[in-house]
Amino acid sequence: MRQLVLNELVKIYSLVRSYIGFALITILMPLILWGYGAGTNFTAQQMEESLSSMFIISGNPFNGYTAAYFILNFFWVHVPFLIALVGGDVFAGEEANGTFRIYAIRPVSRLSIFLSKVIATLIYTLSLIAYIAIMSLGLGILWHGGGDMLVFQDGILILEGKEAFRRFILAYGLSLMNMALVGGIAIFFSSMVRNAVGPVIGTMAVVILGVAVSTMPFEAFDSIRPYLFTTYFRNWEEAFFEPIPWGSLRLSILNIMGFTSVFLAASYLIFRRKDILS
Amino acid sequence: MDTALPTLALETFAVSKQFKTVKALHQVSLQVPEGSIFGFLGPNGSGKSTLIRVLTGLISPSEGHFNIFSESSSRGYRVRRHISAMVDRADFYKNLSANRNLHILGRLTGHAQQDHIDYLLQLVGLYERRHDKVKTYSQGMKQRLGLAQALLPRPRALILDEPTTGLDPLGMREVRNFILRIAEEERVTIFLSSHLLHEVEDICTDIALIFNGRLAAQGPLDIIFRNLDQVQVSLETTAGERLGSFLEKSELVSDIQSTSRGYRLKVAYADIPELITSISAADIPLFSVAQRNRLEEFFLNQAETDQA
Repeated sequence: MRQLVLNELVKIYSLVRSYIGFALITILMPLILWGYGAGTNFTAQQMEESLSSMFIISGNPFNGYTAAYFILNFFWVHVPFLIALVGGDVFAGEEANGTFRIYAIRPVSRLSIFLSKVIATLIYTLSLIAYIAIMSLGLGILWHGGGDMLVFQDGILILEGKEAFRRFILAYGLSLMNMALVGGIAIFFSSMVRNAVGPVIGTMAVVILGVAVSTMPFEAFDSIRPYLFTTYFRNWEEAFFEPIPWGSLRLSILNIMGFTSVFLAASYLIFRRKDILS
Repeated sequence: MDTALPTLALETFAVSKQFKTVKALHQVSLQVPEGSIFGFLGPNGSGKSTLIRVLTGLISPSEGHFNIFSESSSRGYRVRRHISAMVDRADFYKNLSANRNLHILGRLTGHAQQDHIDYLLQLVGLYERRHDKVKTYSQGMKQRLGLAQALLPRPRALILDEPTTGLDPLGMREVRNFILRIAEEERVTIFLSSHLLHEVEDICTDIALIFNGRLAAQGPLDIIFRNLDQVQVSLETTAGERLGSFLEKSELVSDIQSTSRGYRLKVAYADIPELITSISAADIPLFSVAQRNRLEEFFLNQAETDQA
């Protein structure tokens, strides 16, 4: 299995499309951090003045932590596209390029091929999220400094620096799970079609639809929200609650894992029975 | 007398394949002797590639099963451990070099040793270009790399699906010579699908014919030729009228047709020497006696039978 996963990683990282996400983050994060710093100077001054009468704040409240928190807010909407670009290609790309004709004829089970592709997609997702973490949190702290973190969530919560860092690790872990689900959806579409564009469009269509229904404040959608995976995509926010609502987090993790398992199981059933005709 | 049956490299048992509304294979039962160079012939769309895809696990049969070196297809992917294949056009991971492509494929079966890969790249004449990305290769180079990847797991049987497709005449000859060489040197059974009859007649020891998904005939080529009733022969002469009247009187020939340089006629394969001797005895100058490709003859006879 290790050899198969290595093969899949070589394939993924040999494609230019796999670096689009990294290139985008390399450009975008410094831009956001610069914009964040330039735009919050005045607000920070006012906030500090009003808060300093009530709290003792260590360092700048609009620091690297707050910047990384701000970035996480849009992260879960846009990063799925970058994951879908790679996840959507793992099966459909091989079919489109005809490479299954040299790969799937070997005495290796389709389950092994499937698992290796899933693991490689997960590793890619992990690498992308780790890079986002380094470029947002790491670069943010270097750029805007550390200190305590201000969280505006049903009031103001101040997290001490080390605690804030631990909360970010949890938030990125939750984001990884969510993005692994996106990868699972992309793999699902990829196992069904023979071109690599369809799965990307299909994945994004599902994510956009789900996000729209999950976030629109209409009561009519209330009954279906619990059944949408996108409803649980904002679970990373709970990492910054005080106390952390572990019960709610556990429920969202189980839901995300359940959805991921369903998409992957369906993908495997399709791939196992699939006639490779390309 | 040795009456032992030959060991079979591949054997299919009433294999059928249904694609939605199209039945691509009908109860195909094929036997490929070990050590043979087996030509699998049929027109385009006759089901050759479908059967190859069944044997290589790319598609599953709707009915029937098959054995590879006596191992049943019920063993799943394990049955493919003694075979390898080049199915259809050779396609690779274009962004990777030939060397890297072979490493990827070698890892699947534990054959990624650099010296083995180097040997194969040298064998197919790509060693000097081994670090170039495959996207810079010509179709001929890709076909040769296709042969190298097929040999990577040191197979006992090699399935080649129209391996000379897209090659120029020189490239086609290279591939044919290569097939003969590996069959002899590596003692590999070759299962060669083709619609190029001369190619198959040149190198194959056994053949099978498939029309519209149905197996029409199979067996050793020499026995098939021996059983051919009549073959078409073209005679070239400068004494057209004399030859014409001679042929009209001859009981050996039929279907006589005049051509620009002589005559075309049908004659029993066994009677050809007698025909030539009698024409020479009548002092009629013969510049050439050209027999139509016997396999083509057989193929067309079978095609007519199939259509009837």
